[in-house]
Amino acid sequence: MKRLTAVALAGLLALAGCGANDPKKEEGGEAKGGKLTILSASTDINFDPAKSQNLAITTLGLVLRRLTTWDVQPGKPAVVVPDLATDTGKIGADGESWTYTLKDGLTYADGSAITTADIKYGIERSFAPELSGGLGYHKSLLTGGDKYKGPYTGGELASIETPDAKTIVFHLTTAYGDWPWIVSMPAFSPVPKAKDDPKKYNQNPVASGPYQVSSYQQGSLVKLTRNPKWDAKTDQVRTAGPDEIDFQLGQETTVAAQRLIADTGDDRNAFGAGFVPPAQLVQIQANPTAKERLVTSEPGALTYLALNTQRGPLKDVKVRQAIEYAVDKKAFQIASGGTTGGDPASTLITPGIAGRVDYNLYPADPAGDVAKAKQLLTEAGQTRLKLVLLSENDQVNLAKAQAIQQGLQRAGITVTIKPVTTDAWIEVATGDKPDFDLTVSGWQPDFPSANGNIQPLFDSTQIGGGGYNLARYSQPEVDTLIAQATAEGDPAKAQALWAQADKRILQDAPVVPLLYAKNSFLHGSNVRNFSVAAFPGYPNYLKVSLKN
Amino acid sequence: MVVDAPPVSAPTRQARHPLRQLLADRWAVAGGVTILVFLLVAVAAPLLSALEGHDPYTYDTNALTGDGLPIGFGGGISTEHWFGVEPQTGRDLFAIVVHGARTSFLVGFAATALSILIGVVVGVTAGYFGGWYDRIVSRFIDVLFGFPWLVFVIAIGAIAPAWLPKQLLIILVIGLFGWPGIARVIRGQTLALKQRTFVVAATALGAGPGHLLRRQYLPNLVSTIIVYSTMTIPGMIGAEAALSFLGVGVPPPTPAWGRTIGEAIAWVQTDPMFLIFPGAALFLVTLAFNLFGDGLRDALDPRTRGTRR
Amino acid sequence: MRTLRYLATRLLGMVGTLLVISVLTYAVFYLLPSDPARLSCGRPCTPDRLAEASAFMGYSKPWLQQYLDFLVGIVAGRHFGSGLAAVDCAAPCFGYSFRLNESVTQLIVDRAPVTFSIAIGAAVLWLIVGVGAGVVAAVKRGTVIDRSAMVFSTIGVSAPSYLVGLLGILLFGFTLDVVPVGGYVPLTESPVDWLWHLVLPWTVLALLSAAVYARLTRGQMLEVLSEDYIRTARAKGLRERRVIGRHALRNVLIPVATVFGLDLGTLLGGAVISEKVFSMQGLGALLIDAVGNVDLPLIVGVTLFSAFLVIFANFLVDLVYSVLDPRMSLSDAAASSGRN
Repeated sequence: MKRLTAVALAGLLALAGCGANDPKKEEGGEAKGGKLTILSASTDINFDPAKSQNLAITTLGLVLRRLTTWDVQPGKPAVVVPDLATDTGKIGADGESWTYTLKDGLTYADGSAITTADIKYGIERSFAPELSGGLGYHKSLLTGGDKYKGPYTGGELASIETPDAKTIVFHLTTAYGDWPWIVSMPAFSPVPKAKDDPKKYNQNPVASGPYQVSSYQQGSLVKLTRNPKWDAKTDQVRTAGPDEIDFQLGQETTVAAQRLIADTGDDRNAFGAGFVPPAQLVQIQANPTAKERLVTSEPGALTYLALNTQRGPLKDVKVRQAIEYAVDKKAFQIASGGTTGGDPASTLITPGIAGRVDYNLYPADPAGDVAKAKQLLTEAGQTRLKLVLLSENDQVNLAKAQAIQQGLQRAGITVTIKPVTTDAWIEVATGDKPDFDLTVSGWQPDFPSANGNIQPLFDSTQIGGGGYNLARYSQPEVDTLIAQATAEGDPAKAQALWAQADKRILQDAPVVPLLYAKNSFLHGSNVRNFSVAAFPGYPNYLKVSLKN
Repeated sequence: MVVDAPPVSAPTRQARHPLRQLLADRWAVAGGVTILVFLLVAVAAPLLSALEGHDPYTYDTNALTGDGLPIGFGGGISTEHWFGVEPQTGRDLFAIVVHGARTSFLVGFAATALSILIGVVVGVTAGYFGGWYDRIVSRFIDVLFGFPWLVFVIAIGAIAPAWLPKQLLIILVIGLFGWPGIARVIRGQTLALKQRTFVVAATALGAGPGHLLRRQYLPNLVSTIIVYSTMTIPGMIGAEAALSFLGVGVPPPTPAWGRTIGEAIAWVQTDPMFLIFPGAALFLVTLAFNLFGDGLRDALDPRTRGTRR
Repeated sequence: MRTLRYLATRLLGMVGTLLVISVLTYAVFYLLPSDPARLSCGRPCTPDRLAEASAFMGYSKPWLQQYLDFLVGIVAGRHFGSGLAAVDCAAPCFGYSFRLNESVTQLIVDRAPVTFSIAIGAAVLWLIVGVGAGVVAAVKRGTVIDRSAMVFSTIGVSAPSYLVGLLGILLFGFTLDVVPVGGYVPLTESPVDWLWHLVLPWTVLALLSAAVYARLTRGQMLEVLSEDYIRTARAKGLRERRVIGRHALRNVLIPVATVFGLDLGTLLGGAVISEKVFSMQGLGALLIDAVGNVDLPLIVGVTLFSAFLVIFANFLVDLVYSVLDPRMSLSDAAASSGRN
């Protein structure tokens, strides 16, 4: 199992370069200084690496470094690069172990040295039930991880070896080519055991990155100031421009967007952490100065309609194919913000992923092919269908749900929308009692590989129990293909297998691909180096700076 | 909203018939007429939207730009779409507003009826019987006042079984949290009536509780009940709108003024008419009920009878 | 003695009411189809991890057991888990929010100043404006002043608060740019900013409520002014100002106080819509957040706190009643206001 080779990288580059809407690149060199403000709708930031699900290039990445990190640049695909380690890892002879060596002279904010024992401890504490909640891909990949309960109740995880203060070796349960991506996740941040207070670590972690948490007002304001011990020479992805970064929490999305459009006072040094709502996207189109400050990613994450293949009339593949034709993707696109919201989708692997093959098994107008849908329904003997669409109850999701509903209504399918809170949605959609027929979902893989697009959504092991196979799709032939592709060492062959799986799955129509989402963010006029790539579809906080 | 209607004296002489007094009050008449107009609109909603040629559910993406903004002046006002269209969907706004009236009136009237029914029964019996029953009722009222009904509504939406229509659920919840108000007022009045000579006399003459409640108490509470009902309706309509604004009201795509207003706020700078039409409708209906209720109260109150407000 | 006995009874009643509310809240949220541990489960969430998280937080116990643990915790404090990561919640412990890594008590203490600032400021404003306008309107009954005051009040009563709030932000915050558009600055940090950020929420809330109080006050005032003892006072030759200020106002304030107590108590418990609209992280926002994340300890804690405020406000109103009306004793006051 090899990691992505240079050839594959070049391929990614070529594919990504075809994006119609290249994210803008702000000019201005490495300006230093100023106070950056980030407006966020969330009411809490959790800095505990064991509990965090943050992307490597956003909030947590400013304070905590990991073994590897992501190099995300405008117009180029995301690449995994070394961060605390000297390289992205060396595979052992058996193909199931990985060795990393730390760079020289790395220290925390208090001056003490960063050692591999700290990294081991950081990973171990992520297994503790008291600190559950973070990204846990490593938990099932490290040998002994499924039984390990964390260092607080005693015990170490033997599969992580630290022969000396600079070397760390991981023993995995299987060959896993994407391991360099896994060690870029929050759990792989170093945590000095002596300074670990699990009850308070989320507010004041020991900083290894360019910033440290200087004040934490629960629910309203979090301030980051410079970490004087961070050495820019050891860090290739962070520029640490601003002197201080303030997170204003609990900001109402529409009001925050309007503040940024107005661009007065301190808001000039601010940007919005969340997507710009559709109504404000329209407002910005009419405002030339605001339009310049809007940054939209290339089409990336897939938004899709999941059909519960184990329920009632949806068990019939003809009915599902009829729905593929009946869906009004144009109305859905408008509900998602119009052409700035995304491009209509037809495949499962998203643009920007190596090996993606573009095809359309159900060709139709973006508004759908109602006649074909009706024909298929008649053939299936289901002309009076009644289905339940599960939706989260915020405005944006309800607008999308209604767009789907009216589209299917044209083909004679009566859809009832069932609005629920987010946690209820997660429980019903991913739990063991899937009381719904249809639901709209988006999928952003945690690392950019075709594996991340297909396996979590269509492997039969991911049905229920918190898994994201929302369609409850179970097809032995596909499971075999997925296993084959995961184990395949040659990247080109693997990509071909993934593409094959992509098409094979859509023949069964368990989901309707709707959009490749484009995420839009707005920043103030003094903000520089603000860009959003197709993956991960969020701004790169690590490179943002302010005008001098 | 609490209304303290003054206790009504035993019906003796009538200075001026309440109806005449009411009709002489211009504001109350205006309010009453507005209510009637909106009521007619609500009842005839399907007719009206058929007249215009649109229903509130069909999308018309051709009436929108690629970004979802309605094409044309005032959010797309034309002979085709009298109030323009809704952004992002192209649904006809006139149809949405007239059908929304249905939702508001249905929920408003039904929830009020439920509240008043329970409140009067509980209030009269608590005031009349007194004792431990009264104390328990008062405690219960305290619990209801202290309970965060908003949180309850959000939670109950997730628990309620699928076969229960959401509108019915909302009516039940709003109605069940609304009765303590009137129960307290009625209870207070009942207690006051207990001391009145005619009631004492009737009791001394041997009248049983049934007769007393039906013949002595209720007739004297009627005007309070009527006034309170009229004043409660706009509150109930407002509560439904607030729930819709927070996303836990009547589920889409059933038209609801509150939800439309909530969505329209974000569009105010680019399509203000989207807010103005349903916003004005909600405001006018609430205002009309308040004006009418004021006039009704003045007409039924012996102390202000014969005077102009 | 009688008063003491009465006070004791009332106190017991309050505790009882709070208990009932807490049981109801627990029951309702326990019935929710979502597993509160799921959001703390992480990604990917396997059934094993979910069970572990659930066990640590105590959610795997039957709900009656959880409720009893909660009750015990109020007096004796609570202890979750073991080892270094164990969480100790000192008495009085109203629960521990694992999501926010903070005891509920601490969270309430942190957020209460925000809500209290909004509520008390607005309340003072609306009381002065509302009662003042009502008194003036009643005294000058039938004149232009009366009519215009009533027109404005009726309009104020009919407008939805969230709409006025958001429009206010748009107009004064963005278009005219005279006030900041939301957010809260603690009083200790900067009194001027604290005030400035509160001006808009105060104005919106106060105006809408003042309308209610103006109408109420006016109605009561008119009633009182037609009473015999007022006529007597006037006949005695007392100045009008004294008649109104000394004699009439006292009786007018009684029903006003009843309503005010309830309104203030409710607002202190967290005005959800206002806080959401003005991006202020008070108790209302905390509660809605907790509901969205099924943070059960936080939901129960904040609900009880809000309920306590309402019930306590009722109690205070009864006290005020008995002070304002010397004819009434404390228990009479409660009976008359309908709360015995």
